[in-house]
Amino acid sequence: MTAQMFFIGFFGLAGVWFGIVVFRTFSMVRSALALLFSQTAIGAMFLSMQAEFLGVLQIMMMATEMSIMAIFMVMFMMDPGGLGEMDMTHQKRLSLGAGIVSFMAAVAVAVFVDWGPLASVSPDAAQQTIDLGLELLGRSMLIFETAGITILTAMIAATAVAIQPVKRTREQ
Amino acid sequence: MTTVLLLLLLAVGAYLVAVVEDWTVSGRFRLAAPVLAGIALLGRESIVPRKPDRIFFEVAPFLLLVSAILGAAVVPLTPDLIITDMATGALFINAALVYVLVALLMAGWGPDGAYAMIGGWRFLGQLIAYAMLIVMPITAVVMRAESLLTTQVVVSQAGVWNIIYQPLGFILFFIAAMALAFLPPFDLTTSKGELAGGVEAEYTGVRLAVFRLGRLALIITLAAATVIFYLGGWQGPLLPPWAWSTIKILAVTTIMLLAGRYMPRIREADLLAWCWMLGIPLALLNILLVGVLVLVFP
Repeated sequence: MTAQMFFIGFFGLAGVWFGIVVFRTFSMVRSALALLFSQTAIGAMFLSMQAEFLGVLQIMMMATEMSIMAIFMVMFMMDPGGLGEMDMTHQKRLSLGAGIVSFMAAVAVAVFVDWGPLASVSPDAAQQTIDLGLELLGRSMLIFETAGITILTAMIAATAVAIQPVKRTREQ
Repeated sequence: MTTVLLLLLLAVGAYLVAVVEDWTVSGRFRLAAPVLAGIALLGRESIVPRKPDRIFFEVAPFLLLVSAILGAAVVPLTPDLIITDMATGALFINAALVYVLVALLMAGWGPDGAYAMIGGWRFLGQLIAYAMLIVMPITAVVMRAESLLTTQVVVSQAGVWNIIYQPLGFILFFIAAMALAFLPPFDLTTSKGELAGGVEAEYTGVRLAVFRLGRLALIITLAAATVIFYLGGWQGPLLPPWAWSTIKILAVTTIMLLAGRYMPRIREADLLAWCWMLGIPLALLNILLVGVLVLVFP
């Protein structure tokens, strides 16, 4: 077993473990930051797999996103500090079933899909960044632009919904 | 060996930043002041507040220090004096320094204190303001260098430094860097006076010493980043490369520390409004201008 395999396994397990911590804590902030460290571990996995750009991007993006999620959870949950030990889980059987089915589906995809020939050597990190840029501005441009516009629309819509309407009546 | 040397240099740099910061605050230049302040902090009892989130409370100061050191790892002082010349260096600095936010949120939430918590969440709002003004100017810088390698960014400035090539980007990055290091007038998260120290309020003794050390390392990392992105890094006549790096980094640090002393602390809402309504359009304009320049004068 090479050092690379060890680190992929290590960070993979760390990601899963932090994922479990998300549901084992009562504090919303702990929960959000556990999810952050789970995602950071996945970023470290990318780094172990020599996908440097993706790894660094994952590590960077998740820190901001999960921190923002933390403040929303504190704002909207009734017991953000977890002092009341409120049970956050519900519909346990359904979620357990959904979790197992998705896991099996993911494993089935990983095992049964023909991934084509394995690359014996990965291009160096700088070349990967160039390849990724060309991919994003070439073949995959439409997909990414569509996703980007969709997210932007969702953000504008969410902001519009969140703004408190000002009632303008004749009396005023 | 390089790593050890650079970590030592970072420690010396942090010490000098502490001396300069003391000078800008007190008006006296005392070389021994940080040592005395350090001894005083280490000698004090390190109190744990009642009902803390213990993990966050303990981890936060170290996370701040670690993220500043990781950011410094991709900063070259000379062409060879760099801990790791990552192919994504310019992006990695940003990735490492985002964890300053995580550290401050932890430090705010951990001690179970009102002032600390407000300080922590304030920094989240501050990030919403400054984050784009860090990333977008860096985008323009790497556009010119055509590489994310920090050494390549410095080499690309051999003819004209980026401060002249893209002055708009420099101004935006400099302001955003000051906001990232929560230096005055952007010290909303540690506001002395109104928040009694904010995220620092509940920390004492050794933990506060680590927290302050982390912040000093953060300031020096950001000054070094400004130097490699805009001031030609190690380049300069007569003197050896390491000397130019040192002089420039210390000069930028001093300007950063001095600038804020003569301004009133900005309001959070004003910071957000200025950054989003003026800063981001200017940053986009900067990217456009640099794009045209790169095409016209390759």
